[in-house]
Amino acid sequence: MALIEAAGIHVRFGDRVVLESIDLAVPEGEFHGLMGPNGAGKTTFFNVLTGRVKPSRGSIRLDGRDVTGLSSHRIAAHGVARSFQIMTLFDEFSARENVTVGLPAFRARGFDMRHAAANDSGFARSAMEILATVGLADKADIRARDLSYGDRRALEIAVALAQGPRVLCLDEPTSGLGSDGVQRLAALVGRLKGKLTIVAIEHDMEFLFALADRISVIHWGQVVARGTPHELQQNEWVKRSNLGRFA
Amino acid sequence: MAAPLLALDRVRKVYTRGRIVRRPTFTLEADLVIDAPAIIGVVGPNGAGKTTLFEMMTGSNVPSAGHVYVAGTDIHRVKYRERDRLAIHYHQSYQVRRFRKLVPSAFLQASPTAAPMVHLFDEPQFNLQDGYIGFMLDFFRKLRAEGRLVVLCLHPTASWHLEILAEISEQFLLVADGGVTRQPDFRTLVKEPRFRNYLGPEMTRHAESLAGPA
Repeated sequence: MALIEAAGIHVRFGDRVVLESIDLAVPEGEFHGLMGPNGAGKTTFFNVLTGRVKPSRGSIRLDGRDVTGLSSHRIAAHGVARSFQIMTLFDEFSARENVTVGLPAFRARGFDMRHAAANDSGFARSAMEILATVGLADKADIRARDLSYGDRRALEIAVALAQGPRVLCLDEPTSGLGSDGVQRLAALVGRLKGKLTIVAIEHDMEFLFALADRISVIHWGQVVARGTPHELQQNEWVKRSNLGRFA
Repeated sequence: MAAPLLALDRVRKVYTRGRIVRRPTFTLEADLVIDAPAIIGVVGPNGAGKTTLFEMMTGSNVPSAGHVYVAGTDIHRVKYRERDRLAIHYHQSYQVRRFRKLVPSAFLQASPTAAPMVHLFDEPQFNLQDGYIGFMLDFFRKLRAEGRLVVLCLHPTASWHLEILAEISEQFLLVADGGVTRQPDFRTLVKEPRFRNYLGPEMTRHAESLAGPA
């Protein structure tokens, strides 16, 4: 059984149908890429997956449990973490504090405990481990606002990892990164791959084709093609396009 | 025997101008039956009525006369919110479903099918660089294999648009001069003077080379 099972997801806003019918099954540990033209419905599908939009029809199952229509924090409690296209960091906090605030054990104690708790050795150790995973161990005490763009992206992923998720949803993780940043991010995602299930919306095809186990192409609110990067590249029109370069 | 997927029964659409003396400014007539699943290319000059034709097929534009049957059901007699379970109209990358509500939904019938049987793609945005063309064409083939009717409207402005039409379409509808005529294959379409006129000399030469020797 797949860890994520979306079936017949249909979303309409008034007259406009954004998702016609999306089926997606992602087994545990898979890195599943989502690609498609702008306006195809990828982000809306993410919003359904993470509980921010309730589908008009269809269902989402996580590890066999029906989570359709649950609020985003309840879905997060089921182990789904998400990084956004727009950054959602606390700029005045250090990298370590940003991660600490994301730790479920810390959140359970309440936010007013911030200063005392941030120094608590248990939290500090967990936060440092996570920062090490994303390559920010030596920048733990730098305020988020003073980090470079690439480091902020990595910190965002660290905050998502602080939840201890089973599923990590990445919404255009490479957006705004230069080629060095993309390489660093690819190395990070490569380290996370297999340890948790990753679903990523991505426009950088080189990134996606190098890392994803399977890719779903979304267009017209439907999955128009799905396969391994190798399978998708067999298509003659794909060979003629820029995508053909990544074969 | 199952009803044909799509039947336009003596359909006529007239747009008029003037409140007292009504002068027709646009007329489109269509009378055709498509029995089996297929991928059909729709071509014709701008303003000939391709979009009007699509709107009538999907139930968003009521014909002045005649009936549109999708899978045996008059789509203009189906509840507004359920018409997309019979036929879907994709305009570029979006689907917009706007229906003039002339009759309350309560007086209309339910859709007999849960998933749309007719898919109309109105000028999908094809881009040679991103490779999505291949995925889109495979999607059309998948829908056809599932027993659906795929109708693709394409306004060829580049030679590879003609390649797409020739590769994917099994038959064609030429919308021109107020009528809709059926063309059994690409080669026949290319011989049609109204199509050649619409393409212009350079694109016509390319279409001929795709159609192969006569």
